[in-house]
Order: sequence, then structure tokens, then C-alpha cells
Amino acid sequence: MKCKEARQAVVLDYYGELAAAGKKELEAHLRDCRICAAEREETLRVFSLLESNPPAPVPEPDSERVWSRVAFRLTPGRAPELRPAWRFRQWSLAGAALVLVLVAGIFIGRNVFSPPSPIGPLASASGTPRPAAGLKPVLAGHLEDMKPLFLEYANFTPNASASGRTVTIDENLLRALLLQNVLLRNALAKSDPAAAELLDDCDLILKEILNRNRPTAASPVAIRDLIHDRDVLFKLEIMKKL
Amino acid sequence: MSEEPKMEEIALIRLARAGDAAAWKSLFDAHHRRVFGLAFRFLGNRSDAEDVLQETFVKAFRGLDGFDPAYAGGFASWIGRIGANCSLDVLRRKKNKDTLSLEDDAVDDPSDGALSANPERTTGNREIRARIEEALGDLSPKQRMIFTLRHYEGYTTREIAGMIEVTEGSVKTHLFRAVGALRKKLSRVLVEDQNEV
Repeated sequence: MKCKEARQAVVLDYYGELAAAGKKELEAHLRDCRICAAEREETLRVFSLLESNPPAPVPEPDSERVWSRVAFRLTPGRAPELRPAWRFRQWSLAGAALVLVLVAGIFIGRNVFSPPSPIGPLASASGTPRPAAGLKPVLAGHLEDMKPLFLEYANFTPNASASGRTVTIDENLLRALLLQNVLLRNALAKSDPAAAELLDDCDLILKEILNRNRPTAASPVAIRDLIHDRDVLFKLEIMKKL
Repeated sequence: MSEEPKMEEIALIRLARAGDAAAWKSLFDAHHRRVFGLAFRFLGNRSDAEDVLQETFVKAFRGLDGFDPAYAGGFASWIGRIGANCSLDVLRRKKNKDTLSLEDDAVDDPSDGALSANPERTTGNREIRARIEEALGDLSPKQRMIFTLRHYEGYTTREIAGMIEVTEGSVKTHLFRAVGALRKKLSRVLVEDQNEV
């Protein structure tokens, strides 16, 4: 047995994973090699130190709270909450969100706070513009942007590759849609609950599409069924016209 | 450590696959402490461990169709693997951010109270434990995970290999390196501790 093997055998022996033959070889090596024998003593002292200073005991998890979150995320009809992984990206998302808010602000400013048109009866009649009304064109544009993607999935068939039909996705566009969706949902949560509910459904679908490459992701068929089950395309058309 | 899949458990898995939330809750109740315990050992704080617990049971449910009842070690081992991988992901992210702290839940440690009869010794133990945690924190995420599973959780190297899907040889290599690194880091503590005694 070589010195390197002996050092490894010491560890396996401590954990009871060294076969009898290996043990004999180790003992024989340690009798002849003072360096390895000293090193074994030091290794055993380290193990002893670890044993006499055990780590903090595991506390009880708040299992009810965790279960309620698990159930929430797995219940159909509910938008999933932010995943733990997202928290680590919160700051980068916040930065991107700020940019979007500024862009949306400029857009809304142009549409809502621009000088009243001399021929626009509503514009001249309403002295104070309402932000919710100003978000309507933004919402309509956003829904229009999402429609082609949802249509792709709504028309998906399992033998798509055989028929030459595939769903192609621009990853950056998808992330932008998701972010814009979150912003709009939050902005409309109080003033337009119906729109917020639709955006909740869109949020769920966009996240499933975004996670499509993960091993545990929902299949395209499941996403298609989700779109159909919730009448997303129908609601999307109605909401655009309101 | 490994368990054979039980008939009752297989029935629950079938029901959960069919969308039975109560069956999934029963499996959660049976296994959540173990998953949480492993995550807590790896991550060192309750909040991250609860996040991992949540993520594990969401991922496991979504991947339930892929679970084979003949999987070595059964459902417990399968869900343990998912939990271990979730923990490893978090550990890597934390390692990158260099914010790993194993002292977050120090208040949860009842042993602190048990040692309070000798304040000097208690402080000494805390310091030693902090040095140990620091040494563990300096290991690579994989070394730390493998060492924790072997040393604190009592899994064999073969079981760990199955759990994190690497070869047994790779597990041993990481384990040897982890022990070597700990020996280097803790040798000074050993000397100091001996001097105090």
C-alpha cells in the first residue's frame, strides 16, 4: 500500500467502509511508515474534535407554512409564487423593472398627459386624467404581444416535430413579456381586477414556458391545455376590446 | 439508511400522480423532516432550508411520473436526491455570493444552554464550533455536501453516489479531499484546544 492509499484508507476505516483485507494492509503500512502513522493520529484527532463539537441541532421546520406554499404552487388555477431561485435575481430584476417603468411612464405620459386634442370630447371634458385609463393601451399592446406565443402553444400537437411544426421562442422577448406582465398585473390589481386575473393566468403560462427546458417542466401539451382550460385567448381578445 | 419502498407508499404515490392532494400531503408529512434536516445541515439556516423543502416537493410532484418504485432506496432516497440537488444549487449560489453563514440559527441550539454551567468552556466551545463551521464553509459545495452526508448523516459512500448521481469513486475522492482540507484548517484548533485542557 502506498502512502496516498493509506491516507485514504484511514478515512474509510474511520467510517467502517474498509474491508478486512484493506485493514490488514493499512496496519502493515502504518507499522513501517511513521509519517502516515502520525498523519492518522492527526486525522483521528480531527474526527474526535468534530464529534465533541457537534453542529447545532436541526430545528423543527414550519411544516404547515411550507406545505401551504407547496399546495399553493401546485393548485391549478393559482399563479405560482416567486420561486426561491428568483430571490437571488431580485436586484437584477428590480433594475430591469425600473427601466420598464420608466419606458411605460414615458409611454403613458405621451398618451394621457399630452395636451387635449381640440376634437377629442373626452380629452377636453376630463380635467384630471386617470392613470388606469392610461394603462389600457399599454395593456392592449401587451396582450397583443403575447398572443402569437400563446397561439403557438394553443395549436401545439404532440407529433409536432413529425409534422414539421415546432414552437420557436425568443428567450429575451419571453423574459420581457413576463416582466411587463408582472408590472401591469401589479398596476391593475386594484383598478381592474378582471384584467389582473387574466394577467395572473398569463403569468402562470409564461413561467411554465420559461421553465420549459427544466427536467420537471410542464410539457407543451400541458401548457396548451392550460391555455384552453382558462380560455386565455378568448379573454385576451375581449380584454383588448374593452 | 436506505429503505425499501412500502406498499402503502406506492399506493400514495399512485394517488398523488392522479392529482390527489391528500396523498401528496401524506408523503410530505412522512418525508419533510428528513429533507429539511439535510437542507439545514448543508445550508445552516432555517429560512434557506425551508425554501429547499418547498422547492423539493414542488419539483418532486412535477416529476412524479418519472419516479420508478424500483428506484434504489425507494421514495425516500428519490426525494432525498431532489432535496440534495436543490440544496447544492442554493449552496453554489450562496458560495458565489460569499454570504454563507452557519451561525444564523445559533439561537436554536439548546446545547448552548446545557453548557452554560461553565461560561468559559461554553465560549470556548462556541469558538471551536465557529472555527469548524468556517472550515466546513471553505469546502467546495460538493465536498461539503458529501462530507455532511457521510459524517453527520451516516450515509455510506455508495448511498451518496446514488443520491447525487456520481460514481462511488468520485464520492470518495471528494470525501478524502474534504477530510484533508479540514485537517489542515483544524490542526491549529487542535493544538489550542489541547493547550487549554
